[in-house]
Formats: sequence, C-alpha cells, structure tokens
Amino acid sequence: MMLNRRQFQLGLAGALGAAALPGAAGAQSRDNELNILCWEGYNTDSVLGPFRSAHPGATVRAESGTSDPDMINKIRAGEINIWDLINLNQPWARDQMYPEGLIKPLDKERFMPLFDKFLPEFRGPYPLAFADDGALLGLPQRYGPFCFVVNTDKISREMAEDQGWNLFLDPALAGRYGVLTYDNWNLIHFCMAAGIDPFSPLSADQKQRFTEVATRIFQNSKVRSGDLVAMNIALINGEIDAYFTGGTYTASPARYDGQTQVRGITPRSGPIDGKGGVVWIELTSTVNNPNLSPLAAEFLEFVHQPEIAKAVAFAEGTYNPVANMGDPETMALFDEEELDAIQWDTLPEEMARSVEFDSMPDYDELIQIYTAIRR
Amino acid sequence: MERIDRRLGLLFALPVSAILAGAFLAPLLVVAIFSTMPQKVFDFLHWPDFSSYRVILEQGYWRSILWSLGLAFTATALLLVICWPLAYGMARVFGRFTLVLTVLVVMSLFVSENIRLFGWFLTLMKGGLIEGHLRAWFGQGFEGLLFNVPAILFGLVYVYLPFMLFPLAQGIAMVPDDARAAAFDLGASRWQVFTQIELPLAAPGIMVGSLLTFVLSAGAIAEAKLLGGRAVIVIADDIETAFTFAQNWPLGSALSMVLIAVVGTLVILGLRRVDLDAIMGRRR
Repeated sequence: MMLNRRQFQLGLAGALGAAALPGAAGAQSRDNELNILCWEGYNTDSVLGPFRSAHPGATVRAESGTSDPDMINKIRAGEINIWDLINLNQPWARDQMYPEGLIKPLDKERFMPLFDKFLPEFRGPYPLAFADDGALLGLPQRYGPFCFVVNTDKISREMAEDQGWNLFLDPALAGRYGVLTYDNWNLIHFCMAAGIDPFSPLSADQKQRFTEVATRIFQNSKVRSGDLVAMNIALINGEIDAYFTGGTYTASPARYDGQTQVRGITPRSGPIDGKGGVVWIELTSTVNNPNLSPLAAEFLEFVHQPEIAKAVAFAEGTYNPVANMGDPETMALFDEEELDAIQWDTLPEEMARSVEFDSMPDYDELIQIYTAIRR
Repeated sequence: MERIDRRLGLLFALPVSAILAGAFLAPLLVVAIFSTMPQKVFDFLHWPDFSSYRVILEQGYWRSILWSLGLAFTATALLLVICWPLAYGMARVFGRFTLVLTVLVVMSLFVSENIRLFGWFLTLMKGGLIEGHLRAWFGQGFEGLLFNVPAILFGLVYVYLPFMLFPLAQGIAMVPDDARAAAFDLGASRWQVFTQIELPLAAPGIMVGSLLTFVLSAGAIAEAKLLGGRAVIVIADDIETAFTFAQNWPLGSALSMVLIAVVGTLVILGLRRVDLDAIMGRRR
C-alpha cells in the first residue's frame, strides 16, 4: 500500500487525538462519578444499589481490597486521582495516610453530629478518627475484637478465655490448631502470646521471646492459611480445634450458617495493661484526590442511615457489628440470629478487654523475623 | 517512493511500538529500578543502595526460591509423564473425540483458578468428598489429604495441565508417520522409536509445554496457600508479603527481579535448544 502525505497526517492526527482522550476525560468534572476502595461489604448491591437509585445518573464503583496495605499501595502507586473514598483499619489514617497527604480531612460541621448516634465506645467521639491537629480523618463504622477462634464443642469458652494466649503454647493443643496467616495481625498476636505489648518498643530480650513463641506456634500448627473460610471449615470438620488470629469477623459467617460452636474469643487478661484482646475499627476517609467527587461526602453520610448501616453490617462475606448500633432505630433492624452471629451477647465485655489495633514501633523488624520463621 | 513509503510505515508503527514499550518494558524497568532503592521507600528520588539484594541473601529468601523452583521442576516432570499418553491419544488415536477432550479441558479454564482449587479443597479435606464418603461407608476415616507438599504438587499439576497438554499434542502431531513407519521397517523396537524418533521430533512441543508450565508454576501462589496450607512458603508469597504487609516495595521488586533472572535464564537456555519456528508451522 502506498501512503500519501494527507493519509499520513490524518493517521497522525487520529493517533494524537486518541492519546489525548484520557487526559481530556481526567479534566472533566466528577459530579457523577464515585470510586470507593474498601474492605468487602461496601461494594455489595445491598449498599451500593440504594445509593445508585438515589443518584440515577452517577457511575458508582467500589473495589474491595484484600488487606489494608494492598489498598494503600494503590493510592501510593498513583491512583490518588482515581479514588474518592478509602476504608481501612484505624491506625493507617492517623499514622500514615494523613501525614503522607494521601487523605484529606472531613467537614466537621457536617459529620460530627453522626457520632451522637454511635455506640458509647464511639460517641466520645472516637479519638483515633482525629489527627493530632484535631482534623477529622474518617468515620468509624464496622468493628470487632480480633484474637483467636475456638470450637466450643472441643474447648469451652470459659477455658479459652481463662487460658487466653497460653492456650496455643499448651502442648495438649499442639497439632490441633491452625494459624490464620493475616501477617500484621499474627505479629500482634505472637507478641501477646509472648506476654509482650506489641504497641510499645520491644527490648532485645522481648524480640528473642517473640521469635521463640512465633517459631513454636508456627511449628505446632496443623494448618496455615490466609483464607478464613478454609480455616472455619477445618474447625467445623474437626481437623483443628482452634485457630490463632481470628474473631467476630472470621467466626461470624460460620455462626450465621448455624455453626454457633465456632466462636471468637477475647482473653480475660493479657500483656497490655492487663488487657489481652485487640479490636479493629474501620475508618472511612476521603482520598486527597485533587478532583474529589462531591458524591464522596454524600456516600459517607448515606452509609450511616439505619437501613444502610444494617446492610453494611450484614453484607456478604463476613458479618460485623457497626458503631451505628447505638441508635435504637438501627438496632431494631437486627434479629436474634444476626445478633448471635456477631456475638452481641459478649461484645461489650470483649470490647472492655481489648485495646485498639495500633501501629507497632518494631513492625519492620518483627515482619522480617516472621517471614524468616514462616520459611 | 518506496523508501518514503517505508519511512511512513515506520512512523505509523511508532505509536504501537511506544504502547508495546510502555506496556511491557516500562513496568519491568520500574521494578528493576525499585529493586535498587533503599529499604521501604516509595519513589525513585533516592540513591540506589542495592540493600534489598543483601537482605535476600542474609535472610534466607533463597529457601523460598528453591522451593518454588523445586516444585515447578517436579510439577513439570509429572505433567510430562501424565500428559504424554493423553497428548499422544489426541494427536494420533482419538480422532473426533480429541475435539471433545479439547473442549472439556479448555472449559475448565473458564472457571477462576481459585474457585477450582477451592473445589479441590472441599474434596480433599477431612470430612470432605473423599474422606467423608470413606468414613460414612467404612466407619473409618483418615486425617485429610491437604496441607502438605504433595497437595501443592497436585494443585500445580491440575491447574497447569492444559498448558502442557496442548503444546505436547502439537509436538507429537509434528512427528511424520513416515519416519515412524520407516523406523519400524528397519527393525526398531517400540522403545527405540519412542526415544530416537518421537521424542526428538516432538522436542519443540515438549519444550514449549515444559517452559510454559515451569514458568507458571514457579510464579504460582494459590496452590501453596490454599491446598498446601503454607506448608512451604513459595517465592510469590514472599513477594506479595514484601509489597503488602511489609510495605517494602524495593525488597518485593528485588525478589521479583531474582525470580525473573532465574526463570529467564532457564527459559533462554531451554529455547536455545529448540526451533520454535517448527512448532509454529513456518518451517517444516
């Protein structure tokens, strides 16, 4: 084929036009677009469907991540222009995302009144939702104590709570438990089992003790998996009697399925000012997107309406209590079976025995030790 | 005019070449540069210190690399043995049934790998399809079949079977019937025909199938995590941890570079031994 100058110019113009398109789209107003990066649940139809109906012309997209750092990676890797909301566990907003300019503060006038309808633990208002400079960084909603899970047909709740983390050092349980390999949580829990406060700087002796305990718990475990369903199945079919790292979040799907012998346990005592449990609390923040969608703040308000808060609590995958259960109107939407799935009967005392999931001063060194032991 | 036309052709090819360079080379380059950065940084604005490579050596990451390579070698060898008779049948014996078999194997690829592996998890676990049935029928069960190295190998063989089967069938189809018949006529035994005629002439298919399965198995992660219960930690698992929970992008990049270098070297050595054009049908 022979090309003439005109054809070439036409082709070049077409190529340049095509190349310019994404830039042009990026500069457009984002009034009708909302992108949410979240843990599973906020991306379900029961939550997004009603919001889409309320905003018929809007394109609402939500993507669930598999871990907090996985989601932060997306923002760090340049997707700050794409996402409007990010939903992560509590320490990340204060310790990393806000100082690094990855999220922007919320309008206090608009969002502070929401705290009045939260459970007493969050009504204070919840301190980790704020930066040191007083900026409101995110809104709490789902939460849950996170320690370990037992099959109460094999190990009674009382015994598990009394023994606490020592359960996994008991030779009688060797080869009869699993480790749910949520790496960052494992580090916290290995510290707890070693009688160390993970959220304070560790001495050389404590690091040695951490290494010994982590090695022992790994070596004596029968199953190691990052899949909570696999772990629950192993627990139900008797392959194991307990699993290290877990809680309401991981036990609730099995419990809601009628397997109420699967139970998250919060030890009665432990190394952090006498407390033996740790609780995660999700915060949803607005991303520091230079072209933030106005729908972000609207969605944030929307998910705290009673019906939607209930849908968030019982979205697919896992079931979790929500801060909104302090509002009688929201609370009335939960039936007995659902409350049992999220261990509502013992939740206040489990929360009282727990400290906040926080950043660990020696995280970098401990994760190196952890990955080396795992190998 | 011809020369101008060629130059215009080159110019027209520029956008596509740029896209290819951007899509294939740029990400690799980014990973390569990141691997030289100091620990736990998230941009390139630092002097390279290559510390991640030192960390890899000091902290025993070579163990994960060896496990991945060992599992990949074993899975590839097992697949060769398993797929050879099947591929032979497809190329020479089954006739129309080959199409049915092809469709069946290809259909399995339509389902996500994780879902298929979870199906096997439910089958092999204690109280699962196998152990549960045996216990119900005979009153005695056993401790399940999961969470060990054989379970990981089973997963690799299962997932990557199509990647060995089809190139192998293609390779076997390339062996001319005349060559086989001539060998028999000259008094060759069945074994001699296999080792001296079929294997060498089907070598491109064997090599392509082996390389595909080896490369994919070396980077596999789900089999070890789900079926193996992390009985061993494979290199892809370490790379994932470095990028996520450790928030150490340079270390993750360095581990990726090591894997790319090791696998790349093996692939290049392998490819030098076969004529890929032959299996593509360009030169016969």
